[in-house]
Parts: sequence; structure tokens; C-alpha cells
Amino acid sequence: MIVFAGSQLLPGNVGRAMLGPLADQRAVDNLNHELGVDRPVLVQYTDWIVHFAEGDMGMSYTLRHPVTDFVVAAMKNSLKLALVAFVLVVPLSIFGGVWAALHVGRPIDRIITIFGLSTTVLPEFVSGIVLILVFAVWLQWLPISASWPEGAGILTQVYYLILPSIPLVLVLFGYIARMARAGTVEALDSDYTRTAVLKGLPFPVVIWRHVLRNALLPTITVIATQTGYLIGGLVVVETLFHYQGIGGLIYAAAKSKDFPMLQAGVLSVGIVYMVATLTADILYSVFNPRIRYGAQG
Amino acid sequence: MAKDHRLLDLLRRRRTEHENHLIDMLLNGQVNRREFMRHGAVLGMSIPLLGGIAAAAGVGTFPNLARAATGGGTVKIAMTVPAAAIEPVSVADNGGLCMLSQVGEYLCVDGADLTLRPVLANSWAPNKDGSVWTFKLRQGVKFHDGTPMTANDVVATMDRLADPANSSNALSAFTGYLSKGGTRKVDSYTVEFHLDAPNGNFPYLVSSDNYNAIIIPADYKGDFEAHFNGTGPFKLEKYTPKVGASFVRNDDYWGPKALPDRLEFTFYSDIQPQILALQGGQVHVVQQTPVLAAVPIMKDPKIEIMSLPSIAHQQVHMRTDMEPFKDKRVRQAIALCLDRPKLIKGLMQGRAQIGNDSPFAAAYPSTDKTVQQREKNIAEAKQLMEAAGMKKGFEVTLTTEKYLEIPEYAQLIQSAVKEIKGKITLKIEDQGAYYGDAVYGKSDWLDSTMGITDYGHRGVPNVYLSAPLRSDGTWNSAHFKNPQYDQMVSSYIAALDLQAQRDVAGKIQRLLLDETPVIFAYFYDYLTAIRKGVIGVQPTAMGHLFLSQTTGV
Repeated sequence: MIVFAGSQLLPGNVGRAMLGPLADQRAVDNLNHELGVDRPVLVQYTDWIVHFAEGDMGMSYTLRHPVTDFVVAAMKNSLKLALVAFVLVVPLSIFGGVWAALHVGRPIDRIITIFGLSTTVLPEFVSGIVLILVFAVWLQWLPISASWPEGAGILTQVYYLILPSIPLVLVLFGYIARMARAGTVEALDSDYTRTAVLKGLPFPVVIWRHVLRNALLPTITVIATQTGYLIGGLVVVETLFHYQGIGGLIYAAAKSKDFPMLQAGVLSVGIVYMVATLTADILYSVFNPRIRYGAQG
Repeated sequence: MAKDHRLLDLLRRRRTEHENHLIDMLLNGQVNRREFMRHGAVLGMSIPLLGGIAAAAGVGTFPNLARAATGGGTVKIAMTVPAAAIEPVSVADNGGLCMLSQVGEYLCVDGADLTLRPVLANSWAPNKDGSVWTFKLRQGVKFHDGTPMTANDVVATMDRLADPANSSNALSAFTGYLSKGGTRKVDSYTVEFHLDAPNGNFPYLVSSDNYNAIIIPADYKGDFEAHFNGTGPFKLEKYTPKVGASFVRNDDYWGPKALPDRLEFTFYSDIQPQILALQGGQVHVVQQTPVLAAVPIMKDPKIEIMSLPSIAHQQVHMRTDMEPFKDKRVRQAIALCLDRPKLIKGLMQGRAQIGNDSPFAAAYPSTDKTVQQREKNIAEAKQLMEAAGMKKGFEVTLTTEKYLEIPEYAQLIQSAVKEIKGKITLKIEDQGAYYGDAVYGKSDWLDSTMGITDYGHRGVPNVYLSAPLRSDGTWNSAHFKNPQYDQMVSSYIAALDLQAQRDVAGKIQRLLLDETPVIFAYFYDYLTAIRKGVIGVQPTAMGHLFLSQTTGV
């Protein structure tokens, strides 16, 4: 409802956005009537919500095709890119954070911390352009565009997604590594870790069973909250690497006042975000049984 | 070169009064070869005939375009994603137009040299006052579905575009000149256009200058994207909205067959990735690049920037009905602050032609070139400000759109007027916010005290003279009202004869220079970036991209 209301507040109208500023007003009025956007706002909203409840996301105003086709295709692409980025960044940043925590105050800790902070503040379009110039234009090791050829297999798709996922890895590495480091430092300092060490458990077992299980809880929360960004917030990366994701779709829909597309896109991202946070909650309870017991008690 | 009078006499036989007058102007040196070719084409004289007359008049021959011997391969093109469904009646953007121009054709094309050339029409001619134009159509042309193209298709196409009940984007061009029912079939291959008012440049309205005027079948049902059914040298292979399109050679094409086997278009939402794709060799052509985006590749040895003279420009309007611009001396003073050659060299990297505060660019044959060019003159500007009682300067907000080099141009204007104590606050908006509803009272474009607006290329100045400057103009952001000007524009548009057009043009140019409701500082070139070795790419300044003669991929 907020998206619908917000889109009504944008200046201009659908017909004008589609036909351009120089179009004859009669043509604009005809198009607005044809699309039904000259009806009262409440009627438009009711009409849309009724169709949506029936599983019909409507027709795109600008592309004159069912919205579902575009949203599903874009969402699939975004999930693939997010997955590749996650597969790269999660182990890398957890490893980096834990490694830094195990060497607190030493040069390696400082290097990891400074590197993480630097890459986090580096805008994706800067790192993206540098990566494209180095790896795609000069060395020609990786493709410039993230859009793979039609019918490409899974490995080819991953190959095409490596370059665009690196700017995401750089942005997320700092966040996740910092959380992993802080959690690990705290867990290393705790009584249960001291007890585990004093009772003679091997060091890797102490880390794996006692430290990481507790240290990674806040990290899981951070990872879950980044899902929204990784799915719907990659307009710059999608634009730069020419990738048809949901972020770019939503942005284009907002610009062209294509409300059915905009609403369907935002709702889809919202659903993915909800699923991600639910998954995080489940993982939280798996790693920390006290939450489950707390709920029972 | 010497004149061949015998041949000239022969060629002048059976030419109309207007055509013979044009030939006289060529012989007297009143028009150059290029202007002669351009205006002759408007009057319906064929290119070979014009070339023959020019040769006989001793002003050179028309160059023969050497046809490359080899072809084949797939040409890969990067272009801006079409803003909407590909629909000939309503298409309004460069991306959509570029798609249409792969499969569709016009009666005539306003080419790279701004000369009209016949395509689906073989020839055309006006009646005595330019109120009726007769077009002879090419025979043997087939749509991609095999149906022959005839006068019925032309009549239906034009009626569809002129019908106010449709969402036709051609209405703004046709209104006042061509109404529904004005296009009449004479026989299967002859069509007459009965105009609402005489128009000496009417062929431009049904040429490639009008995005929507591609000829489509009479029984068109509004499903263009399903088949892309046109008459052009390429046929649709696949179209995926927002992603790309591919086309293959049309072996039934009426003209020379296309050289490439296939065209592959990839849609991009921004220019930067297109430039990177060109640098990386993933595409051969970037359809259009703004000058500022092209700077990094201008010296790349693997890339060539094709610079096409165009009449596209940025209009700087000043509200003539509002302070501080009510006094024309303030408007003149601001125009005098601009160093135009420097603007062209710095801002436009030399890829623009100088403007003289009217839409009459030097490239138009009708432009009166004796009108003095306005130059930077701060002393005069200060005098004008003092005379207008504005010695202490003024404060104003300049509202404009974030598009091409406009924000940088606005900053340069802001800086330039400081010399006359002008304080300009910039308000740079998203295009949607700037244009708003595009009607008075609901649009920053039309309501702002001062603004900068982008205007695309047109082969003749009629649109620029009317909508943004006439008292009843629908895009009159300067709110300029001058009955004398209105009358002059009506005379200019109706005039068939080039000398008559030029006489009125001179008066209009002087009036606009004096009144200065709008600053026209430069007309920017249309830039297409191409990989070196790829030849035969033919863009137009309107945004078409003709690739049937492209080789070297």
C-alpha cells in the first residue's frame, strides 16, 4: 500500500512518461484511459489487490506483457548472483574474522580489519569498473557482461557471475568479518571457553564446538539482513555488469511509472527478505539451543 | 569546373517553377551544392537528377558510395534499452526507434547529410502552393509476411497516426497539417496528402524525421512486437523485452540485399557498460554516446567515433513574462556572457556547431548566413544591465533536467553570468520531475523562470519555430508572445521556394536575436562509437541505425 501510495505522489503521469514530454496531450489522455490509470486511485488499488490475491500480478504498462514473466526471470537472476556472492563471501569473511580474532592486536588482525573497512566503504561502481578494466578489458580473463549466452550450463553461468560478485564480496566482507571477529573475541574471553581449554580439549575442538557456535550468532543476523541488499539493492552492479536482476527491474519500473511492475517487484523482494530472516531465526535456534528451551520454558 | 549549358538546358526542361528557381540560385552562387541537394530533395527532385544538375553547373558530382564487396557475419550492437513496448504508433524513444528502423521503412529518409532520399516512395511533388503533395510509391515492395505494400497501407498508416482517438506520438507533428482522411489513395501506387495548411517542407513530416511514420500493413492489429512486420532489409529473429533482439537478412528485400547475415542487439540501461563492452570487443557498435561519456575512448586506437552533424540542441529559456527577464536587455546581457567557441571546445570537445540564438542552424539551407553571430561581450552586457536598471545584478533559479551535458552546461552559465552580477541557483531534477505533466501549471519545464531543455534533431526547423516559440505554442517555456513572429513563422512554413524561405528566415533570426527569449548556444553532433575496421554503419541524428551495408565484423 505504501509503494502504491508513494508511486501516486511521483510527478507526471503514466501516459506522459511513456509517450514523452513532447507528445500531444490527446494521445497522452487516450493512453491513460487505455491503461485505466485515469480511474480513481482507490479503484485502481482495489482492482490491483484483487487480481494480486488471485495470483495475477497484472500487465506491465510500458512493456504490455504480463508482469510475472519479468519478475520471475529477474528474481531468478538476482538469486543466482546473490548465491554466488554468498558462497564466496560467507566462508571468506568468517574465516577472516575468526583469524583476526585469534590474532587480536597483531599485524594480521590489523591488516584484516583495515582491509575490511576499506573495501566496505568502496562504492560498487568504483570497484566494478576497476575489475572490468583489469580482468575483462586488459587481461580478458573474464567476460565484461554478467549475462551468459542462451542455454549456458551451470558452470558457465557461475563463470559469468564471478566478476559481478566480487564488488559485493568486497562490500560485505568488512561487515561480516567484523561481526565474526567481535563475536569470536567475546567467545574466546568467556568462562565456557576457559573451562573447555582447562579440561584439556584440543584447540580446534574448542574453536569449532564452543567458540564458533556462540560467536557466529550475531554474524548470522548480519548475513540475513544483507539479503535484502543482495537481492533488491544491486542496481549499480546490475547496470554496470549488464545483468537483468530484480533491483534494476524495480528501478526502471519506478522511473517509467510502471506501477504493476514496481509493486510486484517490491513485494517479491519483501517475500525473499522475510524468508531470509526466518531462516536466520531457525539457524539461530539450531546454533543456540537456549533459545528453544527459553521458548518452551 | 566548367558549366555544361547544353546539358543544363536539357535537365531544366519539365522542371517546375520552384525547381528552376532553385537551379538559378545554384548557378548564381546563392546556394552551395549541399544546400541545393537538400532543398531539391524536399521538392521531390531525385538524387541522380540533382547530382546531374550539380555536375552540369560545375559544382562537383555526387559521390558514389562504393559498395563493399564482401559481407556476412553478425554485427553486434549495444544500445539503450527501449523504454516501452515496440509499437510504431506510440514509440517515443531512441531505443524503440532503433528497433523499428531495423525492419521498418519510411517513404523517405532524412540521411546523414540531412538530405531527403526516397525509400518506399520513388518521388514526390507539391501542387503550386504546397497544400497538396503527391507521392509515387515504389512497386515490388513486400512486407515480411509476403503481402505487397500498396497505397492502402500508406493511407492506413498515416490515418492511424493522424487519428486523435489513438495514442499516436505523431499527432504533435501532424496537428495543423495532416488530419485523418487527409491521406488519399489515387491509385495502387500513388498517394495524395491534402494538408490542412500549406507546408513547404511537408515530406519531412512523413520521413524518418517522424519516428512513427514507418509504413505498416493496413490490417495492423497493434501486435507489432509479435512479428515486427515491416518492409526493411532485416527480419526479426528474436525479440526479448529489456534484454535484446536479433535480426536476419531479408532475402526478399526490394533493394540491395543486406551484407551482414545477422544483427545482434544488446540492451543496456546505461552508457558506461556499453563503452566497456566496446572496449572489451564484446560489441562492434555503440548506437549513441553522449560526448562526455565518449571522452575516455576518443583516443583509443581500436575505436572510432563517428560524428554526425545534427540540429539537436539545448534551449535555455528565460520567462519573458516574469522578472528578472521581462526586459529583453537582461536576456540579451545573459546571452552576451557566453563564450560559445569555448563552450564547444571545452564542454562539447569540439563536437558541436555554433548557435546564434535562433533555431536556424548553419546546416539548414534556408538559414540566412548574413545575420551577425552573437559573441561574448561583457562590456556590452554590463551596459545593457545598467540600462535595464539591473546594475546590482539579479537572482534567479535555473531549473533543468539531469540529461547529457546539461548539468555541466548549467554550471557554466551560472559561472558566466557572475560577470554581470547575476546569481543563479541551480535546481537539477530527474527528467520525470522536470517535465512533469508537460502542460502549463504542472511542469517545471514550462513553468520555471529559467531552464534548459534538450531538443532532438529535426531536418527542418518547423517544430523548433512553432511549439517552443509561437504565442500559442504548446512547449513555450519562455512564454514568448509576439504576433509579428507568429506571422513570420506561418509564412516560413508555407513557403515552397528556398529564396522565399531564406528571406523570412533572416527576419525571424534577427527578431529572435533581438528578443532572445531562448539561448541557442550550440547544436551538438550525434556520436556513434564503432570498432575500427567495421565500416558501413549509417546512423541518423534522429536515432536510426541502418546496418544493411555494414562489413568488417
